[in-house]
Amino acid sequence: MFFRVMDTSRLPDLVRGLSRDHEVIGPVAKEERFVFAAIDDPADLRLDYDTTLLPPKKLFFPPEDQMMRFRVADNEVLDDEVFAAPRVLLGLHPCDINALLLMDNIFLKDYVDPYYKARRDTTLVVGISCVPTEDCFCNSLGTDEAHWGFDIFLTDLGDRYFVSVRSVKGAELLDDFVETREITDADTAAFQRVTRERKDKFTQDVDTSQLPLLLDAKFDSPVWDELGERCLSCGACSMVCPTCYCFNVRDDLAPDQKTGTRTRLWDSCQFSEFAAVAHGQNFRESRASRVKYRYYHKQWGYLSKFERVLCVGCGRCSTACAADITPREVIAALAKGGVE
Amino acid sequence: MTVANMYKEKGSNPYRPWPARITSIIDLTENERLFELRIIDESVREGFQFESGPFVELSIFGVGEAPISISSAPSKQGFIELCVRNAGDVTGALHGKKCGDIVGVRGPFGRGFPFQEMKGHDVLLVAGGLGIAPLKSLINHIHDDRHDFGNVSILYGARDPSEILFRYQFDMWKHRDDFDLILTVDEADETWGDEVGRVTALFDMIDIDPDNTYGAICGPPVMYRFVIDEMRKKEMDVDKIYMSFERRMKCGIGKCGHCGVGHQYACIDGPVFNYWEAMNLQEAI
Repeated sequence: MFFRVMDTSRLPDLVRGLSRDHEVIGPVAKEERFVFAAIDDPADLRLDYDTTLLPPKKLFFPPEDQMMRFRVADNEVLDDEVFAAPRVLLGLHPCDINALLLMDNIFLKDYVDPYYKARRDTTLVVGISCVPTEDCFCNSLGTDEAHWGFDIFLTDLGDRYFVSVRSVKGAELLDDFVETREITDADTAAFQRVTRERKDKFTQDVDTSQLPLLLDAKFDSPVWDELGERCLSCGACSMVCPTCYCFNVRDDLAPDQKTGTRTRLWDSCQFSEFAAVAHGQNFRESRASRVKYRYYHKQWGYLSKFERVLCVGCGRCSTACAADITPREVIAALAKGGVE
Repeated sequence: MTVANMYKEKGSNPYRPWPARITSIIDLTENERLFELRIIDESVREGFQFESGPFVELSIFGVGEAPISISSAPSKQGFIELCVRNAGDVTGALHGKKCGDIVGVRGPFGRGFPFQEMKGHDVLLVAGGLGIAPLKSLINHIHDDRHDFGNVSILYGARDPSEILFRYQFDMWKHRDDFDLILTVDEADETWGDEVGRVTALFDMIDIDPDNTYGAICGPPVMYRFVIDEMRKKEMDVDKIYMSFERRMKCGIGKCGHCGVGHQYACIDGPVFNYWEAMNLQEAI
């Protein structure tokens, strides 16, 4: 990887330059919170955001995504193309960059998901360093830094950005649109200092040691019943999760009943019918079993295949949960054998 | 090119169903029919390779999709047989179709029984109810390569005689001495001349060589534990007892998450697991 330095005052140049051939999407303010949205005016970009309501997965795996149009009479597909315009996703935090890499394992391996892939292929990622929030615990999961998964990464040094350049495309964009200079020893020292200071700002420390073993050894722990009592099965944790990828599929017929569309929608393992099969059998009827499954899959199921847990510690589920169930609490309770 | 390679190497959209024509419909019971399908695209039809045990996603546009295990043997080329109970929207819509109608299939998906590994050994197959559907594929495949196997025993139980599936075929096989076939029902009627009682009670009637026998089980979820107990009592090895799990395999390709069983997905890691794997799989049995 190579590095450049860019004055923070040059950021609007970069945004305007990127806008020429790309749709630029980044964090913007929405009431008290932030969302990823199209950036029309560089002044709208809020790189000082804490976190967004929904994670960037919505841009690759939309909440409602038309997969194909069909004709009923001969069960034929009329169209399954996905239109993906060139985009730049500007201002992703390391957790969200890492989350996309975890999603890639699901959608880009083995059976390649063409809808996700088309959008991923046409989207450039520009990362930005973050300041830890009170809910996030990426530091406990090794996702507090992004080493790949971006084209350019900006580390905020105050008056300037320390720019890590990962891809050819990223290098070209920098060259074309914004004035940068070579790094000096002072820049590198500042980069190291900022990184250290940021590490000290994390308030959460989640002990995930031996978690897969604990999840198996304590599969029948009363902790799950206690959590099941509290959980509302609303699925908010899944919706705001940058790594939850489960979906449902729905067919809609046109008014003439001759053609229609097949659409996938975000789903959640917390919904009561999620694991139900025909003739009335439901493999996860109780809320406790569903709460447990979410943790079991994220912290062990995914790990068993990809050697990483399916969580980046972004803290969105902790913020979204109406019952105040947080990964920190669940993992600690499991280790101790009871909810505080 | 096999269908698996079309998906994995050519990047064919794995969500796009292939049109298939219904070439035969046989009423098996009041609620279950055997549909024979022929995939219309010749290259897909020829590339449709699998080992007994996988499933297809049956896709009826405007209604949805349902996972259905393949009942025909891999050795039957050019056609796929699906034994389907009318139990939901998609299967109900299929039951409303007639010969010549076109439906969609995606697949074959999932890991089947280890047919090659089973060769040279005895096989004990135990089915309950609709669980005979995937085992029928294995039974027929063994039948087609019968000389490669030792003793083959089939224990099949259903609730009552009217629910015995593929009765015409079993009646034929009962008279053969190269298959030990025992049928049983929970509740007999006056037409019934076979056994009465649970399928597990049939284990007293068979002799097996535990070191040389593979087991294959499929049935309602409650059945597994009891059948495995019987197989273990006969001292069969934990990694030679295979079983197929029914879960909500919605996408079939390890993405939608609905068929999660413990740390695995039934659609890509199964649906066939051996007992050692199942013991290490939470929520499995």
